[in-house]
Amino acid sequence: MEIIIEEISRAHKLLGRHKFLKQNVSIGRGYQNDIIVTDPHVCAEHLHLNFDGEHWIVSDQDSINGSYLDDSKINADQHIIKSGDILTLGKSQVRIVFPNHPVEASVSFSPFENLINIARNPLVLAASIALFAIITGWIFYLNNPLKVTFTQLLVPAISMTLLFAVWPGAIAVISLLTKHDTRVMSQLGVCFAFFNLMWISDVIERFVHFNTSASFPFIWLLALIPIGLAFCLFWFNCNIGFHMSERRRIVVASCLTVLLFGGSFLIQLSKKPEFNPRPKYDATLMTPAFMIVSGNSIEEFVEDSSKLFEKSAKTIKKRN
Amino acid sequence: MKGFITLLLLGLSSLTNLSYATEQAEEIFKKLAPSLYQIRLIDHASGEKSSIGSGFQISSDGLIATNYHVISGYARHPKKYKIEFLDHQGNKGLLTLQSVDVINDLALLKRSTEGDMPFFSIANKVPIKGEELFSLGNPHDLGMIVVPGTYNGLKKESFNDKIHFTGSVNSGMSGGPVVNKDTEVVGINVATSGNQIGFLVPHDKLVALFNSYQVSPPESIERQMAEQLSFNQDKLISTILNSDWHLKHSNADKEDALVLAAVANCSLDENTYLSSRFFTGFIEMEFRYMQAKELSDTKFYSLYEQHIKRAGPANKASKDDVTEYQCHHDIVAPINNGMKRKSIFCTRAYKDFPKLYDVLYLGASIDKNNQALVSHFTIAGVKQDSAMDFTQKFMESVSWK
Repeated sequence: MEIIIEEISRAHKLLGRHKFLKQNVSIGRGYQNDIIVTDPHVCAEHLHLNFDGEHWIVSDQDSINGSYLDDSKINADQHIIKSGDILTLGKSQVRIVFPNHPVEASVSFSPFENLINIARNPLVLAASIALFAIITGWIFYLNNPLKVTFTQLLVPAISMTLLFAVWPGAIAVISLLTKHDTRVMSQLGVCFAFFNLMWISDVIERFVHFNTSASFPFIWLLALIPIGLAFCLFWFNCNIGFHMSERRRIVVASCLTVLLFGGSFLIQLSKKPEFNPRPKYDATLMTPAFMIVSGNSIEEFVEDSSKLFEKSAKTIKKRN
Repeated sequence: MKGFITLLLLGLSSLTNLSYATEQAEEIFKKLAPSLYQIRLIDHASGEKSSIGSGFQISSDGLIATNYHVISGYARHPKKYKIEFLDHQGNKGLLTLQSVDVINDLALLKRSTEGDMPFFSIANKVPIKGEELFSLGNPHDLGMIVVPGTYNGLKKESFNDKIHFTGSVNSGMSGGPVVNKDTEVVGINVATSGNQIGFLVPHDKLVALFNSYQVSPPESIERQMAEQLSFNQDKLISTILNSDWHLKHSNADKEDALVLAAVANCSLDENTYLSSRFFTGFIEMEFRYMQAKELSDTKFYSLYEQHIKRAGPANKASKDDVTEYQCHHDIVAPINNGMKRKSIFCTRAYKDFPKLYDVLYLGASIDKNNQALVSHFTIAGVKQDSAMDFTQKFMESVSWK
């Protein structure tokens, strides 16, 4: 009767797998055993598994620390093994399965696998990282009122790029620690692709702010673009780095998105002074080429502005 | 040698002048001391003096004149403070606030009296330029003093009249009277700009306040202040609106690193004091022309945006005085003149003075690739109609030439 014995870690991750076509299998620290466990709490001659023609039966060889079922205190001696049972010897664990043990259904390639493969292509990856660095440097250049040399721009560009590479790196490390495929290149590729999409969403946001007035009712819709992008990025991170069910992936990605935007919202809220003596207004300016609306007349502007008086007078009543 | 003698003579003559003035000052002080007071604002909570100034009696039944700013704490928070007087003999007593003139910084207080008391008579004519005047008061809590000085006419370019007085007016002398040789009040100490330059409220303002008080005392100080603020601001705005506007660039070129900027601004040189944390009645306008020097349009506009990002109010105000700003912005393209701009308008309401607001406007031209004009104004303590009339005229007057 065939028996498969898996050495597993305490977190039930697979360490090694052995298949035997014998009637007796011995487990222990001694080198004569079929499975040699290097755990000082395991005896040289610890445990035998015997096939009696119908069942596999555990027989503890009077070991010092004993053998137990899974993490329970139930002594495993003379236990009739069922497929999938876990035995604890000393501080180690083995899982026993039979050839007819059911396996999970095959997972088909996700339709995004192609996209991920494009993103992790070394050329594409290098290009998107370079693009990110160039945009960062360019924005630094735009906001600097003084003359700057090219080398002065290199420092922020490179440091920002490295800073943003921490996130995909961290996920790869977590994948590694949880015994998943690290896939660093894929994580980097996808992350930088999304970081660049974030720049594009910034431009769209500024463009809309520049072209609309304060009374434009759908301005909040713009906030959904970065939120959506962040969600997609986290979804991809989970997809690449971990094996998890579709539902779990969506939950994890949503939680990370809420953490990111909720957290930054809370930070902003806590920084807000009790009373702000300065006005808060939208000062977005772009070059005339981005101006596509024809604009209102002075009379219309004055009329719209007049509504503010009533609005601010109302805030007094509310507080009292 | 000749020069030396002249110098000596000059010295001698000024010495004699000085001793004569001192003698006269002493005489005046003796005569007027019983009607002169130190005014103290006492904090109920701590029992300590929160501000001191001077005051003088102007009627036999105990009416005392002083500066509004001396007792502004009480006017804004009557529950927090009480007003006390200290007379020349060291007697103390409570005072009640009767009437104020926030624009000219005057207040009328009243003490209880037993029978008729001596009081200052107010002059009925304006002094002549160069006339010798005597300022009375109580600077630094050191006791009553007399400071001689000269009348130098009204302050120039001032919307509300102030007398220019040459003599040391110190902070504690605020609210004290300034008298002529005949011991008639011709002004009230109000401010100093150091170096022997003092400013006085002309006596006619006090006469006006006193007369209107005699006719009908105000029902509520707060309402009286609101009315005075509105009235003054209406007068100011309509004066500005009815005058011709010639907006010119000044040649005050400032070398920025990458952008050439020329700034022209004008502002009212005075504001109305309501409390140490709340000023109003102020107007300022600013025009900033910017031109790119060998810059890409994108970079120029990026720097331009940073320029217009941080506009703020020109007057101080705290949470208890005003609401937070509400803002509107839009693209404005007037039909008749070509300047397309992004306009921003913000306003905040006064909590204690209904229908009064602070407004702020910012216009940024967006129709030229490498030059820009920022037009900006703020008005403090204005009514909606005047503010909007002003905004309209201001916006119409801005164009490329």
